[in-house]
Amino acid sequence: MTKQIQDAYIVAATRTPVSKRNGMFRNVRPDDMLAHVLRAVVDKVPGLDATQIGDVIVGCAMPEAEQGMNVARIGLLLAGLPDNVPGITINRFCSSGVQAVADAANQIRLGQAEVMIAAGTESMSVMPQIMGNKVSLNPAIFEKQENFGIAFGMGLTAEKVAEQWKVSREDQDAFALHSNQRAVAAIASGQFRNEITPYMVRTHVPGEGGTVRVIESLCENDEGPRADASLESLARLRPVFAARGSVTAGNSSQMSDGAGAVLLMSEAAVKRYGVTPIARFVSYSVAGVPPQIMGIGPIEAIPRALKAGGLAQSQLDWIELNEAFAAQSLAVMRSLDLDPARVNPLGGAIALGHPLGATGAIRTATVMSAMQRDPKLKYGMVTMCIGTGMGAAGIFERV
Amino acid sequence: MSKLIIRKVAVLGAGVMGAQIAAHCANADVAVLLFDLPAKEGKPNAIVDKALAGLRKLDPAPLASRDRAQYIEAANYGSDLEKLRDCDLIIEAIAEKMEWKLDLYAKVAPFIRADAIFASNTSGLSINALSEGMPAALRPRFCGIHFFNPPRYMALVELIRTATTDAAMLDELETWLTTRLGKSIVRAKDTPNFVANRIGVFSILAVMHHTAEMKLGFDEVDALTGPNIGRPKSATYRTADVVGLDTLVHVLGTMQATLPDDPWHAFFKTPAWLKALVDNGALGQKTRGGIYRKQGKQIMVLDLAQQDYRASGAEVAPEVAAILKNRNPAEKFAQLRASEHPQASFLWAIFRDVFHYCAYHLADIADNARDLDLAMRWGFGWALGPMETWQAAGWRAIADAVKADIDAGRAMIDAPLPAWVFEREGVHEAGGSFSAADNALKPRSSLPVYGRQLYPEQVLGEAPPERGETLWENAGVRLWNRGDIDARIGILSITSKMHAIGDEVLDGVLEAVARAERDLDGLVIWQAAPFAVGANLAQVTEAIRAGQFDLLERTVAKFQQASMALKHAQVPVVAAVQGMALGGGCEFAMHASHRVMALESYVGLVEAGVGLIPAGGGSKEFALQAHNLAQRAAGGDVFPYIQESFQTIAMAKVAKSALEAVQMGFGKASDDILFNAHELLYAALHRARAMAEAGYRPPLANNAVKVAGRNGIATCELMLMNMAQGGFISEYDYKVAKAGATALCGGEVETNARVSEAWILDVERALFVDLLKSEKTQQRIAHMLETGKPLRN
Repeated sequence: MTKQIQDAYIVAATRTPVSKRNGMFRNVRPDDMLAHVLRAVVDKVPGLDATQIGDVIVGCAMPEAEQGMNVARIGLLLAGLPDNVPGITINRFCSSGVQAVADAANQIRLGQAEVMIAAGTESMSVMPQIMGNKVSLNPAIFEKQENFGIAFGMGLTAEKVAEQWKVSREDQDAFALHSNQRAVAAIASGQFRNEITPYMVRTHVPGEGGTVRVIESLCENDEGPRADASLESLARLRPVFAARGSVTAGNSSQMSDGAGAVLLMSEAAVKRYGVTPIARFVSYSVAGVPPQIMGIGPIEAIPRALKAGGLAQSQLDWIELNEAFAAQSLAVMRSLDLDPARVNPLGGAIALGHPLGATGAIRTATVMSAMQRDPKLKYGMVTMCIGTGMGAAGIFERV
Repeated sequence: MSKLIIRKVAVLGAGVMGAQIAAHCANADVAVLLFDLPAKEGKPNAIVDKALAGLRKLDPAPLASRDRAQYIEAANYGSDLEKLRDCDLIIEAIAEKMEWKLDLYAKVAPFIRADAIFASNTSGLSINALSEGMPAALRPRFCGIHFFNPPRYMALVELIRTATTDAAMLDELETWLTTRLGKSIVRAKDTPNFVANRIGVFSILAVMHHTAEMKLGFDEVDALTGPNIGRPKSATYRTADVVGLDTLVHVLGTMQATLPDDPWHAFFKTPAWLKALVDNGALGQKTRGGIYRKQGKQIMVLDLAQQDYRASGAEVAPEVAAILKNRNPAEKFAQLRASEHPQASFLWAIFRDVFHYCAYHLADIADNARDLDLAMRWGFGWALGPMETWQAAGWRAIADAVKADIDAGRAMIDAPLPAWVFEREGVHEAGGSFSAADNALKPRSSLPVYGRQLYPEQVLGEAPPERGETLWENAGVRLWNRGDIDARIGILSITSKMHAIGDEVLDGVLEAVARAERDLDGLVIWQAAPFAVGANLAQVTEAIRAGQFDLLERTVAKFQQASMALKHAQVPVVAAVQGMALGGGCEFAMHASHRVMALESYVGLVEAGVGLIPAGGGSKEFALQAHNLAQRAAGGDVFPYIQESFQTIAMAKVAKSALEAVQMGFGKASDDILFNAHELLYAALHRARAMAEAGYRPPLANNAVKVAGRNGIATCELMLMNMAQGGFISEYDYKVAKAGATALCGGEVETNARVSEAWILDVERALFVDLLKSEKTQQRIAHMLETGKPLRN
């Protein structure tokens, strides 16, 4: 047995820009996006012997149709990784991407692998409906009131959180505006440039005389943020999920397409390939909460992850809190007293978009990029709420 | 039928009228080029693109289904004039400026084929003068084609010939407009504003004049001049707001300029208050303020005495209302005239002056009195035209009364009535309608296209229509035929009030089908609009009050039998649908072997509104449709097809055209859609005959319908749960909709179970009767009967 406890290091991370649903990636397949980031993250470590990659773990929240059939294996083969590299698709809804990072790190930490890739991919454009290609609910859900929450739409859960945690419409809109402003500023100052691997979209359209014309368009920036957002325009939007509610399209995360990938190594592999690691994987925790208020998941998950890492909350310098909804983000921040300055400094999902199972990997790349930019950052966290009532939090330490 | 082939239409001018005319051509499967000026910057077709986007926002919708927009191609005069060479009909609909129109004609003429028709939608300019702007070679194929707004819904199109218009071309165009676009044509003379606007705008002027004379409020006048006298709900001033006060001022200006010799010319002016409104930018609905404006939820009306807006809501005085209720027109007019009440005096005055005006001008503006009356019905939505109103009230008595008023100086002017008025007893007779110009009776048009209208719209006083031969009848239906068309195709007409379906109608349908199978080759269900508004709720309520739920269950069973009898009859059953086909009416239509639908059909299963579900086989038909559609889908999952019909039923969605009805599954792609509802019976009889000749055989009931079952119901419930939790629907809405889901999914059986049609009928019937027993459903039914509106409880 060669099993041993050892640390796992993130040595490279990248992502695609994030497209709006039916936006610049409307014709881009999620397996192609995945192949793109897998190739890119491997390319970031020039001397790497790809045959040594122990596994490719890919998060995807709706692993069906274009992103079904074990998209991890298909994506890695399309990326040109060696046949001997295996792949697995995992699903914990919105945390799938960071779950993949944790699972990959754990393989290393257990000594079962030296090199791992964690990734996430999701195209919400290819999904005909938000709950996947075929929606089919269990009749038992409606037989007992305790189970009703399983059937609650995400927006409805946000309304319940807003109600219970008394998050006003005005606060939600202000939060949404802030998210947009931060994101627009971040793009303008090129803060995402390091983490994004631009994607060349090739669109096949009818040309002259039965020929097919291919239109190429290089996508370099996230599509979601709105420079023209204002409190007035946000205030004008109608609540979508409740007749007298406060959650609108403007203060909810955007539906999006995107992919991200992270390359992890053991200390031995780091030395062997002579790479400089960016961060050490510290800890990861998940926790369950009532499904009808799923948005508060991080309130349970964050303390667990801090405890597992032996850290105090004040030590966190950079927090990527997925903005599923402004309502739940504010409820989480207020309950845990998170420092707003450290939460989503470059904007969050309300502006940048939320390609479900890819978000965790994408935001891990954002944290890694921040750590590379700013040597003062010590600890970073990626956290989110999860549909049907869970929370996840993963913590990284700059090395 | 005309041999005129119109493959492509060009509409010049993408304004409100042009864009809507283009939309209606697209509705009728005619390709359209919609032209306007090239945009000064950006995309060259930006102006037209904007107009096309605007079409989607208009209410009522110009497009009969959204996908029709794709048949309208945007074009501009800058780069696309060559495309005019492909067009068989070009309709000019630009602003009403003679020089602009002539400039445009000069520009486009070189690109117009000699065999194309070029027509102007001008509402007031001289067609002869416009014709001069065309090269001589194109003039024979130039005419006026005046649509009314909104062109999809307003029946009238006035056709105006010039001195050089080719008569055969005009006949062909009339034929095409009638049958293809479904329009009702009046041949107008080339006089300013033609027929409908000439009379209609005069009527507005008369109303404005007498409003001021009698010092009535605008809202008071609207209460008087709406449905109370057979005119649209928006009456006079509200209509002016909708049309646009600036437009009204423009029209008044045109009348002033173009009709200097009209004896009423002194009245063709804009009242000071109207000018002030327009000068202040209060143009009516488009500026959210005009004669009326909304303040919060209150509708305010301009009050000239106060020089300010006040809350509106004036009503008709009870003594005047009592007069208006009198069904005897002669008495009614005599009472209006005799009454001292200012409202009554006002009403008499506006009728008197319009009668006066019509009689005076009949010779110059219209071929005959029928054209004038029909123009007012079709162009202004009047239930009766002015001349027939006069005739119905007693021609001679009214003539004497008008004359007395003229002589006494009470009429707007003192010009005497023309002599012919006193030489006649009316203007409409069995032999035709009076032409003042020719001093003769004019029969209806002999164009062959009108042979397709077995029951055209008639004015009062015309010869009664052919009633056909009654084969059998009861209190709810009449089974008859038209021996002159096809004696062996039966016509089943529902005769109950609003064609509601009660027990006697069900008996009638069952008997009619039995007789058709025995004695005839086919059956057509036809009656004037509405097709049927659903079950007879009064009967249902009576049975509930008496606690006769067994009887109710038997009635529902009979309803289902009637539907199934229609579907499985040994002869083809063709439903000729027009107007509303709701609830049970929709179910009858769905079960027919074939549907011939007027474009203006409003079809839906609206049972949810009264706390019920479709149980006359409607839920079963949707389950069966899902089964059939799923057979061609990968995986064979029926639920995606259920999901859509669930929303249709749960939200009581109504198709707003025959095209939408087919898209929503109330009809089939193979159904016939007719644009002219008057041709419906003719087409249905011929369709039934063709089906019979083609060896029609009814389908057998399906005993292996794949249903969505329990998982399907739960998945529908997902939507309900979220809507209920979000406060969008009530708890009882949830219950009713879940019952609908249960029926659509074939009951609480396993997903993908195979069941018989009969089983699904049992399921929908049981759920229906269960809902009927609920107090909340009973409240909904009572509320609908009382108010005509659904209750949300």
